Amino acid sequence: MTRWIRLAAPAALVSTIVPPAYAVQYLSIAQAQKQAFPSATSFAQADVRSWKAQSGGTVLGLFVVDHVVGKHLYIDYSVALDPGGRIKRVDILQYRESYGGEVREASWLAQFVGKSGASALKVDQDIRNISGATLSSHHVTEGVKRVLAAYGNRVR
Amino acid sequence: MATASDRLRRARPLLGTFVEIAVARAAPDVMEAAVEAAFDAITRIHRRMSFHDPASDVSRLNRQAAAAAIAVDPWTFQVLERAVELHRRTAGIFDIAVAPALQRAGLLPGTKRARPRGRVAADADDPIELLPGCRVRFRDEHVAIDLGGIAKGFAVDRALDTLRQHGLAHGLVNAGGDLAVFGSEPQPVSIRHPLNPHQLICHVRLANEALASSGSCLDLFEPSNVPRHAIIDPRTQEPPRAIAGASVRAPSCLMADALTKVVMIQGEDSAALLDRYHASALVVSNAGEISVTPGWLDGKTLAA
Repeated sequence: MTRWIRLAAPAALVSTIVPPAYAVQYLSIAQAQKQAFPSATSFAQADVRSWKAQSGGTVLGLFVVDHVVGKHLYIDYSVALDPGGRIKRVDILQYRESYGGEVREASWLAQFVGKSGASALKVDQDIRNISGATLSSHHVTEGVKRVLAAYGNRVR
Repeated sequence: MATASDRLRRARPLLGTFVEIAVARAAPDVMEAAVEAAFDAITRIHRRMSFHDPASDVSRLNRQAAAAAIAVDPWTFQVLERAVELHRRTAGIFDIAVAPALQRAGLLPGTKRARPRGRVAADADDPIELLPGCRVRFRDEHVAIDLGGIAKGFAVDRALDTLRQHGLAHGLVNAGGDLAVFGSEPQPVSIRHPLNPHQLICHVRLANEALASSGSCLDLFEPSNVPRHAIIDPRTQEPPRAIAGASVRAPSCLMADALTKVVMIQGEDSAALLDRYHASALVVSNAGEISVTPGWLDGKTLAA
């Protein structure tokens, strides 16, 4: 029978803190557009956060960027809608996590201002994999529903 | 070390969490196609095995399988086979039919009439009958399943298979902390403390192996001081009380994922089962004590 090993003095084993700011940029807006609509020849900006994907005179769909923000998380994501107004795909563009302070605070967000493109973010470039309590994506799912409600009938 | 240009990392909201896929050392178009196909595999599992989607296999079973045998996706059937196997081997401790208790706890929507208490773990007859042709029948109308304790691990395994089939030599899939890696280069993984999410307990290096963790739900959007467990002890129909969190290393992510539930409920009594599946575990008690099985320490380094 396997014997369990008690790791002594748990407090000493626990590393003090996760880095105060952790961010990953997965895709720039341009990259995400291209992935969602590979055959598109142009993306015509429809409003401040949406683009019409077109190939010649044909509308392939709508590309919308949005974000959700909570106490310790700030996530940019994109929603691609097909010509029928149905969700084609959802991508996380940027994931930012902070324990040092609330991510809503202007000072924390300021470090990301004006940064776009795949090489801009240098906060934590090391691949970091974490296992633990499962993070809920509920808020992004709710955000996608709002995008669908706002843009679902505006694709054509 | 891979450079930025020969590696790719993508994330999507799937399976109720953030699923991240990272690949390296292949042509960009090969990596893009492989990652796309791996997300497609996870999306298929999301659609078939979601408790929340009324069109999923799980929802159709919960509505209809007590009245008649229902045909499901072969992947759903595979997950059910492993779930039934674990249910038997753990004398009912691993139980996918705890959906009614999760509903009562507010962790799943809707209400289904609960089975009478006391009949749960001691049942000799399996509540879920697996029939030829990927058909499934439930014993009675009180049975309601939720695959939340096993489908994420299965999804990680299928995504990793897909990356391999596309000829990649390195890959990592992380579905909200249930993760698996393949390739010659070991990947570092940090374990988050179940009682203090801003602390890390330790780092492990994984190569051709899976790791999963369970504990209370963590919501970084609106953190609550009240821990919400998504695990139910079928004997008490309540969340386990002694253990705050458990992590399991195993050859497959399905098994790692499923075994975390058993370890959360059974604690150190789960050692024999872990051995049987060539798995090892780390357990954090609610008092903050950390224990590991000897296998866990292989190649492991503690956080500095």
